[in-house]
Amino acid sequence: MSIQPIDLFSAERRRSARVIVRGLEKEFGFGVAAVRAIDTLDLALGANDFLCVVGPSGCGKTTLLNVLAGFEAPSAGEVSLDGRQILAPGAERGVVFQQGALFSWYSVRDNIAFGPECAGKPRAEARDIADGYIEMVGLEGFGDRYPYELSGGMQQRVGIARALAADPDILLMDEPFAALDQQTRELLQEEIKRIWQETGKTILWITHSIEEALFLATHVLVMTARPGRIKASFTAGFAGETSHLVTTSEAFTAAKRTVLGLLREESIKAQRQEEVA
Amino acid sequence: MSSAAFDAEAPPGTTKLAERPEVTSARRRRRLNLLSFAIMLLVWIAATGGAGFWTPVVDPVFFPSPLAVFEAFLRLIENGYQGRSLGHHLMMSLMRFGIAFGFCVTVGITVGLLMGMNETVQGLLDPPIEITRPIPKLALLPLLIIWFGIGELSKVIVIIMALFPLMSISAMQAVRGVSRRKIQAAYSLGATRWIVFWRVVLPASLPGIFTAIRLSLGVGVTMLVGAEMIATSNGIAWMALSAADFLLTDVVLVGVLMMAGLGYSLDQLARVIERRVVHWSGKDS
Repeated sequence: MSIQPIDLFSAERRRSARVIVRGLEKEFGFGVAAVRAIDTLDLALGANDFLCVVGPSGCGKTTLLNVLAGFEAPSAGEVSLDGRQILAPGAERGVVFQQGALFSWYSVRDNIAFGPECAGKPRAEARDIADGYIEMVGLEGFGDRYPYELSGGMQQRVGIARALAADPDILLMDEPFAALDQQTRELLQEEIKRIWQETGKTILWITHSIEEALFLATHVLVMTARPGRIKASFTAGFAGETSHLVTTSEAFTAAKRTVLGLLREESIKAQRQEEVA
Repeated sequence: MSSAAFDAEAPPGTTKLAERPEVTSARRRRRLNLLSFAIMLLVWIAATGGAGFWTPVVDPVFFPSPLAVFEAFLRLIENGYQGRSLGHHLMMSLMRFGIAFGFCVTVGITVGLLMGMNETVQGLLDPPIEITRPIPKLALLPLLIIWFGIGELSKVIVIIMALFPLMSISAMQAVRGVSRRKIQAAYSLGATRWIVFWRVVLPASLPGIFTAIRLSLGVGVTMLVGAEMIATSNGIAWMALSAADFLLTDVVLVGVLMMAGLGYSLDQLARVIERRVVHWSGKDS
């Protein structure tokens, strides 16, 4: 029970994959001003995979998520979900942002009912669905509140419930807990695990926290400094653990040391890049 | 000290509404507002002879006392001004303002929203709006009268010219300022472009649009003076302007105060609506 290196794009993984990222490249700007964010990235994600992507800042992790969400088009290569190429945002790919993406003019319930309503569900049914997810994320009694009346942690619960209510095949999470305090973050991490086990969704989770990645994920991907490539990928054995206490175990610490070593090299490179720029 | 100790002992949820800081600060502000009005009135009374206790600083012919103005107001209610009732003058002014304001709220804001949503529309409509914006609209009044005649049309148009750029540009900027994340989130929840506009872009732009509406209420009332300056024989601003020709300073002040009152009450009304409609304004998460 620790981490094992794995080829995330092996023939076996590709056969059973739902999400395929093949030869993905992404450049911003043109000519001499062009910045290469992602450089040939291959990835296969299966059903029920929980993949955490860690990497130094500016390594293109969020760009990868934006391409999968359909917010940005790849410069080269292709991304697909269940064999269909991803060209635009869609309800089959739910997105949870770090903060500021809730609809301030809607109550918690109406925020969560937004997805079902877009899918053509009648208002009453959409609200019933919303109430179910309100319960799942532990926000009973807050359905009629507005987002600005909630704490940061509760707002993130609403964001997660809203994404889940649209019943996506895959959840794309862009550092959803990065703005929260340590205690709130640990509790929410335990809850997201429970939700992942209950719903069986495929999750791609961007984070800069190695501990978060190792605690949550079935697979961990370490990216290089810009242009982002795969530095290393592992299977993580802690996804079955429900309590945060596991992070103090020897196996966990050893895994953390391995990943930290890899990430440090890239962080130093990333910092040099920034100094040059 | 003692009240702080009391607050600390009170169990949560039992604090009286009036003791909550935001409520007391609102009440404090209202009291200061009233005090400010009272001081202005007192200064006016003092300058005009202290209700008969001393010699007025300024000749009452030029600056009548509040009481004289109030009497003029009652006289105007009873007899009207220049053959028409005070209500008629007020209604004429309100109509000119209302038509222009209504046009700008509906058309101006719609144009602004379209400009914010669509680069082509913006590219086409930005130059005419931006070019006319800095022109003092009153300078155009003689030209408008040549073009649109001395009837109501030229008066309404001069007000529209002042309000339209304000409304459309504010609406455009409000749309531009909508958080990209909220729009992306909506698309990822399966929203169509239509849904994104009605349920995300429009509500998110409302706080900015309300600010423009309140600004344009003030500008619109001011523009009434210009609109009623030439070729008319009714309206509150006209009443004040024409009374000045006869040195009826009390009537002038009634007109001026009525316009001030009109602007103030419209703004208060807009504030109440704003608080209801855009309750999240300034508290965005």
